[in-house]
Amino acid sequence: MVTRYFQLPSIYCLNSVTVVYDLKNVVKERLVDGVGFRLQVPSIEIKAQENIALVGHSGCGKSTLLDMLALILHPDKSDHFDIDPVDGKSQQVDKLWHHHRQSRLSQIRKQHIGYVLQNGGLLPYLTVRENIELPRRLLKLADDDSINSIAKVLGIHRQLDKLPGLLSAGERQRAAFARALSHRPSILLADEPTAALDPITTRKIMAVVMELIKGLKITLITASHDWAHVYKMDLRVLKQEAEPVENGRIYQSTFHD
Amino acid sequence: MSQLSNIIRLSFRDYSHEWRMSGCFIFALSAVLAPMMILFGLKFGIVTSMVDSLVENPTNREIRPIGSGRYSEQWIEDFRNRKDIEFIIPKTRALAATIQLKSDTATRILSSELLATAENDPLLAGMQRFPDDYYQIILSQSAAKKLKVEQGDRIDASLARQFHGKRERVHLTVNVIDIASISVTSRNVAFVNLDLLVATEQFKDGREVPDLGWDGDSGSSASRVFPSFRLYARSINDVGGIVADLEKQGVRVKANVAEIETVQSIDQNLSVIFWIIACVGAAGFAFSLGASLWANVDRKGKDLSVLRLIGFRSSVIVLFPVLQSCYTAILGWLLAVLVYLGFEQLINRFLAPRLNLDQSLCYLLTEHFFWALGLTVVTAIVAAILGGLRASGIEPSDGLRDM
Repeated sequence: MVTRYFQLPSIYCLNSVTVVYDLKNVVKERLVDGVGFRLQVPSIEIKAQENIALVGHSGCGKSTLLDMLALILHPDKSDHFDIDPVDGKSQQVDKLWHHHRQSRLSQIRKQHIGYVLQNGGLLPYLTVRENIELPRRLLKLADDDSINSIAKVLGIHRQLDKLPGLLSAGERQRAAFARALSHRPSILLADEPTAALDPITTRKIMAVVMELIKGLKITLITASHDWAHVYKMDLRVLKQEAEPVENGRIYQSTFHD
Repeated sequence: MSQLSNIIRLSFRDYSHEWRMSGCFIFALSAVLAPMMILFGLKFGIVTSMVDSLVENPTNREIRPIGSGRYSEQWIEDFRNRKDIEFIIPKTRALAATIQLKSDTATRILSSELLATAENDPLLAGMQRFPDDYYQIILSQSAAKKLKVEQGDRIDASLARQFHGKRERVHLTVNVIDIASISVTSRNVAFVNLDLLVATEQFKDGREVPDLGWDGDSGSSASRVFPSFRLYARSINDVGGIVADLEKQGVRVKANVAEIETVQSIDQNLSVIFWIIACVGAAGFAFSLGASLWANVDRKGKDLSVLRLIGFRSSVIVLFPVLQSCYTAILGWLLAVLVYLGFEQLINRFLAPRLNLDQSLCYLLTEHFFWALGLTVVTAIVAAILGGLRASGIEPSDGLRDM
């Protein structure tokens, strides 16, 4: 049903062995409340159409890693940071950051990545429909029926002409998923997308989303601190381990399989 | 192009969505701009009108010699060639410069003062024709009324003298080529070519005027000397300098120097006061707009980060606050213009009549409104660019985490 309404163009249908993200020794350091925080990713390889969950407690660096994967945060060090959203067109993200190729990074983000924020991140001055169609407008995609289709699948087709402020938390998250998927990206990143929702609503939304990404052959990377929920969704889990290093001056967080 | 058109649309949607906040910005801007426009309107209206009326009225630019002097044709010519002098023409002795005029339509003979005139005479500004021979004349309104003549009428002009114990009178038929307006003079004046004025004096002095067939003693061939002149400076600003030069040469003159200096002093002082207030106001406006835009960017950090996350380039994001600032500038200017026009009407309708002024106390030219718009938009854009650069400098990651 999903694919019938929301067909992905063949160019974006990645082979399931394509490596979408390839990270080696990626490091990002930040100062949080006066204490050094270091996120370390020794090695992560994410294949096309994989469904990944970054699991760890709050403040362990899940969002930081997602932001780096979304190309909105540059790594401080890396041996290797490649993204291959379209089969065979690998891009060296660390080099793009290093050479200040912001427009290229924007271009990749605009075209291939959808990002769902914890509270939706919908623009309050646009209607739900306008929010959803914004990524499509940027890509000058044809004004077909896909907005109505995806809204129907996510159960928000009656809310399309409302402003986000008039929606419930659950409806806002559905709209956020719709916006993230409207331009048919090959990668969907979600930062604790159901953290503010009750378990029943969470289950309903994630069931629809999982069906959608399966049909659309999208690679999903979601951050969560809810172990039980992640295990129920049958996701590959990247766990986080944290320890104080350098005499406790730095809190180091490491992600691994 | 897609990003540009989208950012214009989004900035306007956000601006109209937050209409209360936008309205506050617009009111704040017009609250600074409208008083500045009223101040400038008053400065421009009062002083410029006074200066204009001084400039437009040629009598304010006239420099009149006191008593009789001896001014050669060469002296007059030298002054005529000065750049600060618009017009100079000699005058003959007052007693010799009279003529009797008689028309077919009036019974009385009118004794009229003769004044020489020529092209570019400021006293007769707007006249199409000037007397260029003995037989053409321009009459003052008063003289024309008494003679009951109109433009194009022919009248008799006559002169009388006692010559070798005998009373003589000569006649000349002259054509009324124009009639001067009442504002030129209220006296009975005939404006004539300089040659006729000189001929009149020669005849009255008993000398011959061969051109007109008037007999008399032969005149000397020495250069002519005039007892007086009619002189107009090019502008009121030149009057002081010419007066000083003439006085250096021992020529005592009279001019409206004090009145001109008063207006110039008012103009300068009001200009200084206006520019001090305008600069303080403009600086306050720029700082308040800059500060509010700075704060606005902080407030909008989340939305701007979302736009970057979706794929807008940083350079385009800068335009978001800049465009909103332009909307504020244009709408604030529009409101300020409306407020100004209201006060302009109030001042000109109610205050000006009480001060017995027949001119506008407060007014601005169309170009002044566009200058105000241009300056407002430029100030707003400069202030907004700082905010915009700050917006583009915020890491989207930081903006999103602040949500």
